[in-house]
Amino acid sequence: MRKFLALLRAGLKSNFGLSVLRHRLLRQKRDLWMVPLVGLALVSLAPVMYYYFRLLKSVHNLLAPLGQQAALLTFGLLAGQLLILIFGLFYVISAFYFSKDLDVLIPLPVRPFQVMLSKFAVILANEYLSVSLIVLPVLISFGVLGGRGPGYWLEAALVYLLLPVIPLALVSVLVLVLMRFVNLGRRKDALIIVGSLFLVVLTMMLQFWVNRSSRLEPDSAALVRFFSSPDSLLQKVGSSFPPSVWATKALTGGLSAAGLAQFLLYAGVSLLLLIGMAAGAEALFYRGLVGLAETSARSRGLTGAEISRRISSGRRPIRALFQREWRLMNRTPIFLLNGTLTVIIIPVMMLVMAKAGSKDSDLTSLFRMLSSRNVLLSVLVSAGFMILCGSLNGTASSALSREGSQFWISKVIPVSPRDQVAAKFLHSYLIASLGIAAASAVIFGQLKIRPVNVVPALGLALAATFILTAAGLAIDLARPLLDWINPQRAIKQNLNVLIAFLVDLGFLALLGFACRLLSRLGLAADSILALLGLVLACLAVSSWYLLGRFAEKRYPAIEI
Amino acid sequence: MIAFDHVSKSYNKGKVRAVDDLTLTVPSGEIFGFLGPNGAGKTTTLKMVVGLLRADGGSITINGLDVRTDALRIKSLTTYVPDYPAVYERLTGLEYLNFIGDVYGVPKPDRVERIAKWLEIFELESAVGNPIQSYSHGMKQKIMLIAAILPAPQVMILDEPMVGLDPRASHSLKEMMRAHCDAGGTLFFSTHIMEVAERLCDRIAIIHKGRLVACGTMEELRRIDKEQQSLEHIFLELTEK
Repeated sequence: MRKFLALLRAGLKSNFGLSVLRHRLLRQKRDLWMVPLVGLALVSLAPVMYYYFRLLKSVHNLLAPLGQQAALLTFGLLAGQLLILIFGLFYVISAFYFSKDLDVLIPLPVRPFQVMLSKFAVILANEYLSVSLIVLPVLISFGVLGGRGPGYWLEAALVYLLLPVIPLALVSVLVLVLMRFVNLGRRKDALIIVGSLFLVVLTMMLQFWVNRSSRLEPDSAALVRFFSSPDSLLQKVGSSFPPSVWATKALTGGLSAAGLAQFLLYAGVSLLLLIGMAAGAEALFYRGLVGLAETSARSRGLTGAEISRRISSGRRPIRALFQREWRLMNRTPIFLLNGTLTVIIIPVMMLVMAKAGSKDSDLTSLFRMLSSRNVLLSVLVSAGFMILCGSLNGTASSALSREGSQFWISKVIPVSPRDQVAAKFLHSYLIASLGIAAASAVIFGQLKIRPVNVVPALGLALAATFILTAAGLAIDLARPLLDWINPQRAIKQNLNVLIAFLVDLGFLALLGFACRLLSRLGLAADSILALLGLVLACLAVSSWYLLGRFAEKRYPAIEI
Repeated sequence: MIAFDHVSKSYNKGKVRAVDDLTLTVPSGEIFGFLGPNGAGKTTTLKMVVGLLRADGGSITINGLDVRTDALRIKSLTTYVPDYPAVYERLTGLEYLNFIGDVYGVPKPDRVERIAKWLEIFELESAVGNPIQSYSHGMKQKIMLIAAILPAPQVMILDEPMVGLDPRASHSLKEMMRAHCDAGGTLFFSTHIMEVAERLCDRIAIIHKGRLVACGTMEELRRIDKEQQSLEHIFLELTEK
């Protein structure tokens, strides 16, 4: 047990960067500015949470007269568990098989199941944080609105603690078997990309399925039948993943025999799966790791003539730097997924979700606005959609961070910081333009928007994205995250990417507000668009100039 | 020539002095070895020369150019190999060398000749088309060394360059270092291998707790204490406290 706890402590510290954070904040007194920033980010969540609680309250009040309020719990718990089930696959494979600390852990005198359980516990801790914003409000709302007693709150805490266990254990067992008997290790890059795309498709299918299954049969006899039983809705919702039904019944049953029986079922299955996973780890974990360190290399070397032919005849430095960015981005699966592929997938996903969604959903109304007869509205919403699709990826805001420990190369080469950032800008802007092109294709092809509206929207989107790309780069220049081991930290767990997203959304909100103001002043649509285009063009030119100056100042100051 | 003039560098807001008032000249045409125990300030000093770290005080000049104000010109004269093999793992060896050739502006005929020569010396021809992530530690070290040689720099800064190299590669590297300095180049390198420093270096500096404790030719170092014959003994004596 002591060994397991030591592994767990090290894993948690390493995962959350606790030691580094403590060293920087308390000893080096660096990054102190992050404290108010994190506080601000938490405060900015308040409005979202307020509306979420209000939504939960109205759903509860809607379901209560029908006696179906328990379905609210099932919805919340099911959403949390399905999210963990879907995204857990990726986390489990990364943590169990592709994390760099395995080289250190395997030679230690600890059992395979202890290593695996410690890693499992670290993922569990991450999942508690990830789903807390979705699940905790549901548990709190249900308890407060139903006036539940202390027994409920105790059970709610236990249910929440056990929530990720079943989905994660299921995924872990699947991964253990898969990695032991299918030699995927040598194709780990392909595995990550194909696996992630599979998850995207699965999410879309789930979206379709949820929409379809949430539609009730229209005939009244069926409706009467449906609502005659108090748990018919929760059974229907939870039929895809029964543990969420057990947890709901445990919570609604409270400390009654039926409630406790359901809780025992829920906790018992969690425990059994955990034991099964530990047993599986003992037998399969290390065997599945064999050969993972090998990376695919060509069997045949290059001949002298081939080497001479492949030696380039001299490109301009900016072109060489651009090519480096392009290659490193597209050859690192986690970067590829969060950059190039994201900008193409987002517009397609949004379209699919809108088509699958009900007539009143936000996305469907957004797409309806795109094809509105109001030219100004159509152009602005189209531009907004393009800007979102082009800028909501972490390419620019992780441009320096992605270099990690290899940033020393950029520091010593004889290329000015201005040129280096220019190459990064061109690369990021190209990715953003791909997103804009994908969004335009969706707007133009699927929604049949008139070209006369698409072209000005395209112009506005290109100008706005130019500014946002420069802003993303400036954010990463100000505080590059270079000390990562797992590339996931450089882009997915990088605070700079989150800050850039907030800046993007803030900029869009500001643009929308400005347009509304201009429209209220009585300006014609053409004038508003022209004015907006002019302002964005001026800002774009200024942002380019300022970015170059900032790079000249920041590059020498970044120490590695 | 590299000249350090009262250079200092500290970490943790001045609490840890990594380099303390270092004044030193690394002349051209001589192999200059930089010795010191772990944490003595060797890597910090080398990093300040190539601009990875900024000195808190004093100045560093290379061929008369200040590393702060003439950074770009200095970079075009200098190459550097760090003490850890951090290279673009997702590029092939050849793509990395092409990248270095492009940013340093090495003409194609020179590139072809130097790459072919050093790939053969370091026995990397069969691996150069593969991604660097498939290389061993020593192979990564070799590709970084070829990248440092490729621009034919006037100044080479090498941090523990022998680590990970097999004896043949290590021998070839020493020959290259000698040839570089014989041609008038400057070479400043750190090492923990006393035998290498003793046999190879024209001049040696020993740093301890951030301060320079000795500097000179092997003969001059021996004169510090006549009883101490080998560099290892001198080193141990000077860095004992």
